Amino acid sequence: MKIPPDSASTRSGPWLHLLVTVLSLLMIAPFVWMVVTSFKSLTEAADPEWLPGKLRWGNYPEVFRVIPFLRFALNSFVIAGWVTLLQVFTSALAAYSFARLEWPGRDRVFFCYLGTMMLPSLVMLIPTFQLMVHFGLVDSYLGLILPAAFSPFGTFLLRQFMLGIPKALDEAAEIDGASKWRIFWDVILPLSRPGLVTLAIFTFMGNYHSFFWPLVMMKTVAKFPLPVGLMFFDSERGQATHLLMAAVTMSVVPLVLIFIFLQRQLIRGVQLGAVKG
Amino acid sequence: MSGRRSSIPRLATGLAFLLPNIVGFLAFTLVPLVISFFIAFTDWNILRHNLFRDDPLQFVGLRNFSWLFQQPDFWRYLGNTFFLMLGLPFAIAGSLGAALLLIRVDRRKARWRGAVAIATAVMVASGLLLFAGGMEARGVMFIFGSLIAVTLVAGVLTGGVVYRPLFYLPHFTAGVATYVLWKKLYDAQAGPINSVLVPVLECVTQAVRAMPGAFKWGLPVCCGLAVGVMAWWQFRRLRQHWEDGTAGPMAVLAGFATVAVPCGFLLNWTGRSIWLSIGLAMVLVLACSATILRRPRSWGPAAAKSAGLGAEVALALGLVPLLLLLVGSIVFGPELPAAAAAGFEPPNWLGNYDWAKPALMLMGLWAAIGSNNMILYLAGLSNIPPELYEAADIDGASPGQRFWHVTWPQLAPVTFFIFVMGVIYGLQGGFEMARIMTLGGPAGSTTTLSYFIYTEGFETGRLGYASAAAWVMFALVFALSLLSFRFGNRRLGD
Repeated sequence: MKIPPDSASTRSGPWLHLLVTVLSLLMIAPFVWMVVTSFKSLTEAADPEWLPGKLRWGNYPEVFRVIPFLRFALNSFVIAGWVTLLQVFTSALAAYSFARLEWPGRDRVFFCYLGTMMLPSLVMLIPTFQLMVHFGLVDSYLGLILPAAFSPFGTFLLRQFMLGIPKALDEAAEIDGASKWRIFWDVILPLSRPGLVTLAIFTFMGNYHSFFWPLVMMKTVAKFPLPVGLMFFDSERGQATHLLMAAVTMSVVPLVLIFIFLQRQLIRGVQLGAVKG
Repeated sequence: MSGRRSSIPRLATGLAFLLPNIVGFLAFTLVPLVISFFIAFTDWNILRHNLFRDDPLQFVGLRNFSWLFQQPDFWRYLGNTFFLMLGLPFAIAGSLGAALLLIRVDRRKARWRGAVAIATAVMVASGLLLFAGGMEARGVMFIFGSLIAVTLVAGVLTGGVVYRPLFYLPHFTAGVATYVLWKKLYDAQAGPINSVLVPVLECVTQAVRAMPGAFKWGLPVCCGLAVGVMAWWQFRRLRQHWEDGTAGPMAVLAGFATVAVPCGFLLNWTGRSIWLSIGLAMVLVLACSATILRRPRSWGPAAAKSAGLGAEVALALGLVPLLLLLVGSIVFGPELPAAAAAGFEPPNWLGNYDWAKPALMLMGLWAAIGSNNMILYLAGLSNIPPELYEAADIDGASPGQRFWHVTWPQLAPVTFFIFVMGVIYGLQGGFEMARIMTLGGPAGSTTTLSYFIYTEGFETGRLGYASAAAWVMFALVFALSLLSFRFGNRRLGD
């Protein structure tokens, strides 16, 4: 394990592959159990046996009958989608200002804004909730979307990206008489597309998972996003393990699809976000 | 050049683009922050200050804080938070190990024939098991056998590209869905973890019953010898490094602490009081360090105070768990035959006060190994200049030396970044796990600071009290990140 990358003989190649294969299967073993259990009956699910007697595809339609799964999923997608759209837009605006415009005190303001990432969100939790009560936003989509629409991290990520775009492009556009807004909209935004996509994936994922804030804010069952909705199988109506596993499987599928198709973007984004931080 | 006159409009343009963020910052960060600060000094309680009964809010000064610090439960929850953060070193080691493995697979063109041979063998073996084994075992073996074969063939054909997503998947899906899943995995009766553990523990029981003497006397003696050899090896190694000037006094202290911590546990487990154990362990560290540090250096200038500390700490992360295991067998080995008479039971993971926290740490480890940290390590590893390895080869370095003198120092910035982020998020973490898997129990053993703040603020309704706790957490996060930045920068400097 501790042998550096390019050393030693090539003889152990196939065995290395076998080792990594076994390890990676250990990593996904819980998912295998999840899928297998989702085909069991309720009594089989309460049993330590791994395999069901026969595959019960009926568990999946059953999920839709027991909880409004589609409604929960739709809520999740709507909330995460709007947050993504707004956050990418506001972050791009701010990043443009921090990366491409010259104004006094710019970098100091940027580092202060970046520093607010260190503030634990729990400190702001109670007053933010009271503000939401005050403005009547409790139990509304807007109350979930607005607080997440601004992000120092997103600003930072896009600023790093925009810093890499050659200055000459702005100057050429400036000579052509373009306004700052035109430069932002027509020159910088199209060129930052990979950065925007990366941020969009991160934001979407993060908000698709979000649990704490919806749990506090949402009162109407029909407005629950998926993570809060999944809890129905676990506490309120007793333990319906087989249905829970079917629901969890379905809720993980979009994530896996996003990951498979956008892997490269994502990995580049992780490196962009951290290496210079 | 630009004069003063043009700086005002430029400031205006710059701020205009920032406008949405400024509004958002004011509304959702600054204003709540200020309000939260004031709430922390009031007696705001949802039972007494609500729509129906609106008593005036009273400022109570520091009473919330003093009440908080007098609660033994608060200190216990703080302890839980730090206990769960002990998983961080293992997560870092796991990510680094995974990255090293994955990058080796990538760099090396495996001879595909060998791999296909192994895959075929696995296929045949799982097929045999399908026909030979019982109903339950054969199906599972078949599923995993064919998964192994498919992954292996795909991995070889794509040059290892397939493995990364499989490692990354647990982190990527981590959230309510996987916590719910693990709650079921840990189930004491129906959970697959225990259904795997039962036959394993059965074998152990049989072995202990068959040879009570070996476990009663042999195991502790062997483990005692192993501990002695490792301690001696550590002593020799530290003396050597001190004389070579590659280890400073802090590294020597850390090196001996590695040995002394298990000794302290040994004393505590054999019934000494906790303060006596800590005291004796510290005396041991100081005594051993003194014998080395008093020796004059044969040549060269003294090493910097913190030289070699990073490597010592990293080594300690591997050595301490191993030593603890050995010491544990010394202490509890003689009791094994008596325990085996009753038979060993797998733990009721989430339902047991002592096992709940390790269970959560194990799950966190599973999600953290293949996480963003692994991707950062992969990037860091591919950025190490190959000349460094060539130079190490010319000097005749062993694989271990290549790791400690090339790879580990080159990765230090990445490790530092991961560590600081882990500390910052670890202090705030644990809410989702506690809410979904254990509701903070059993008996508060998995209640972290964040879950405590949530229950106080939104279930008990003592908002002033909860805000005070949140500010204590803020102070901790701030202090720890400041500390690690100061310490880290100095360490990276040399």
